[in-house]
Amino acid sequence: MTTFTFILIRQMPGNPFSIKVEQLMREQNLTVEEATNRAGALFDFDPNRPLLEQYTEYMGKLLRGDLGKSIISSEPVMNMLLRFLPWTLFSVGLGLLISFGLGILIGMLMAYWRGSLFDNVMTAFASVMYGIPDYVIALLLIIVAGVQLRILPFAQMLGGSTPGIEPGFRLDYILDLLFHAFLPVFTYVITSLGGWMLTMKSSTMSTLGEDYITVARARGLSQRRLLTAYIGRNAMLPLVTRLAISVGFIVGGAVIIETLYQYPGLGRNLATAILVRDYTVMQGIFLVIAISVVFSNILADLLFGLLDPRVRLGKEDAS
Amino acid sequence: MIGFATIATVPGLLIGMVCGLIPLGIALYYRQLRPGLLGWLACAFSGFACGFLGGVPMIVLTTAVVISYAYVNKQDPFTSRAALAEVNFEETRLELLLRLLAGLGNSVRAGLVALLRNKAGFIGFLGVLFFFLMSVFGPLLIPYDGRPHPDRRLPESRTLFQAPSAQFPLGLDWQGRDILSHVVHGGQGLILTAGLAGVLTTIIAVVLGALAALLGGVVDQVFSAFSNFILTIPQFPLLLVLASVLTFESNVALALLFALLSWPTLMRAVRAQVLSLRERDYVEAAIALDLGLWHITLREVLPNMISYIVVNMIFSIRVAMYSIVGLVFLGMVPLREPDWGVMIFVGRQQGALSNSISVWMVLAPVLAIALFQLSLVMFTRSLEEVFNPRLRSGL
Repeated sequence: MTTFTFILIRQMPGNPFSIKVEQLMREQNLTVEEATNRAGALFDFDPNRPLLEQYTEYMGKLLRGDLGKSIISSEPVMNMLLRFLPWTLFSVGLGLLISFGLGILIGMLMAYWRGSLFDNVMTAFASVMYGIPDYVIALLLIIVAGVQLRILPFAQMLGGSTPGIEPGFRLDYILDLLFHAFLPVFTYVITSLGGWMLTMKSSTMSTLGEDYITVARARGLSQRRLLTAYIGRNAMLPLVTRLAISVGFIVGGAVIIETLYQYPGLGRNLATAILVRDYTVMQGIFLVIAISVVFSNILADLLFGLLDPRVRLGKEDAS
Repeated sequence: MIGFATIATVPGLLIGMVCGLIPLGIALYYRQLRPGLLGWLACAFSGFACGFLGGVPMIVLTTAVVISYAYVNKQDPFTSRAALAEVNFEETRLELLLRLLAGLGNSVRAGLVALLRNKAGFIGFLGVLFFFLMSVFGPLLIPYDGRPHPDRRLPESRTLFQAPSAQFPLGLDWQGRDILSHVVHGGQGLILTAGLAGVLTTIIAVVLGALAALLGGVVDQVFSAFSNFILTIPQFPLLLVLASVLTFESNVALALLFALLSWPTLMRAVRAQVLSLRERDYVEAAIALDLGLWHITLREVLPNMISYIVVNMIFSIRVAMYSIVGLVFLGMVPLREPDWGVMIFVGRQQGALSNSISVWMVLAPVLAIALFQLSLVMFTRSLEEVFNPRLRSGL
């Protein structure tokens, strides 16, 4: 994976070095050599070294936790990643949790009252939302709510936090963070809610047919207990695995939304890094993406065993 | 002339009308005037839209439908209208051809009926049809407005943007060009590229999935490991990087790149389905009867998967459209006008979002994309019923 991204990214045409060399030659009338030296000093990067050498050095540093420095700003990539990552984790994670919670609740009720008006309205809503791309929703949100109707103070809501506000564990800072995260989080919720609702509905439908539900009903258990402890818990199982898997795609999925809302997370910085051909930053972000996908897959497996006693017992029996 | 993305032409109309004479003639021979006329119209229409590529396949379909009205199966005296005296179990080549065509015609008719039955699906179908008609016939009515028009500036305005008016129903963009013409002309390339990407994804996935399931062993392991590898990488960021690495000469390359990155999910599903279908009784019966690989694949296995495959193909087309517009939106691929994605990208850069006069430059393509995707999703409901007869019986 790392090897793959390394090779891929170094093969990109138009590296920042040659762009800078050309720019220096044009602007300051330098010869090729002078410009090359100047740019080399600026970038701390020698494009003429053999690729293999660059690669072994990169891998060696990687094992020591050193991701190199940004070619453009010569800031350590590790620092940049640590700076971007919380924003993405916060906004997408919050969006994912809200949509998951709402989705399983609504989906369960849809299946429980299937055929009712509520079910029909929600099914229509879910299929419509499921069909529309997230950036379309984001653009519509900006245009309709922000510009045309002026419901949202759109211009102030861009970015991660209000410039000048001092970070800290204080109420006004947290409120400010939530205020700025509202647009991306709302977009993530709207776009992924439909999918959760529909999956939860079908999962609940199949749970409703199980014998233990009939038995529970025959025992005269209350509606609430039936819904939460018997139907909800069992119907949620397949969705929890999917939640864990989608955690892995958090980082990758936010590129367009973050760019649109100028949210300072990993996604937007990946887009900028690609545009200016900042190799080391791109490699770093890709590494984070790959690691999060692999880990969330492991997490999904572990979680499933934890939540479903049947799987655990099955394994013990087998061993 | 590439299939559907062509603009309707008069020679195309002539081609279609000539093509339509074949089903019409056959219908007259069988004295089935109504299907014949409908067939002629269908041929003329699809010829008008796509020239030879539309007209010729339509000959086969309409002829099959015409024949299905008139065909009498002489081998089957019980369910068909054949008189007892006519029953004859010897079949000539021509009769075999007629029987196959009638079968095709019957499935086309049943499919059309199924298409009309599901309400949501039918609305989706109308939506897709609308975009098809707009892309193919729209250019005949609304010429493409590609050059800047500095002269259209309103006296009191600082930009060339204009709000919708009677002359320009969707207003003018940042260069004073008619937005409506860009919407009408800008869909073709995008829809065609997305469609191609979806079809390529499906082909790769089905072929590799079927091969993995049927051959098993090392082939299966290699393909599965490879698909797992691709699945670990989130598609869109990788597509971003790749799209900026490669410079695209054509949309075909972009479609191919998308297909190469997105086949694994469907491939795994196809593999699982083939593995399970292989164990079914009727497939084992067909193998025991030694009906041959082609018969088993085409008549026993494929019909049970086709609905799933088609629905997934539509799904891939949607994702492809999402990704391609996303790439354009982030400025990662060369911009080619007219294109909905480019309208959004340029509109955002020119500040069209912030003003209610200029907002149509972005709003129009955004709505077009949203409606097209929505129509596709709803259309899949009908497609499921068209390709899976078992779903129809319940209604």
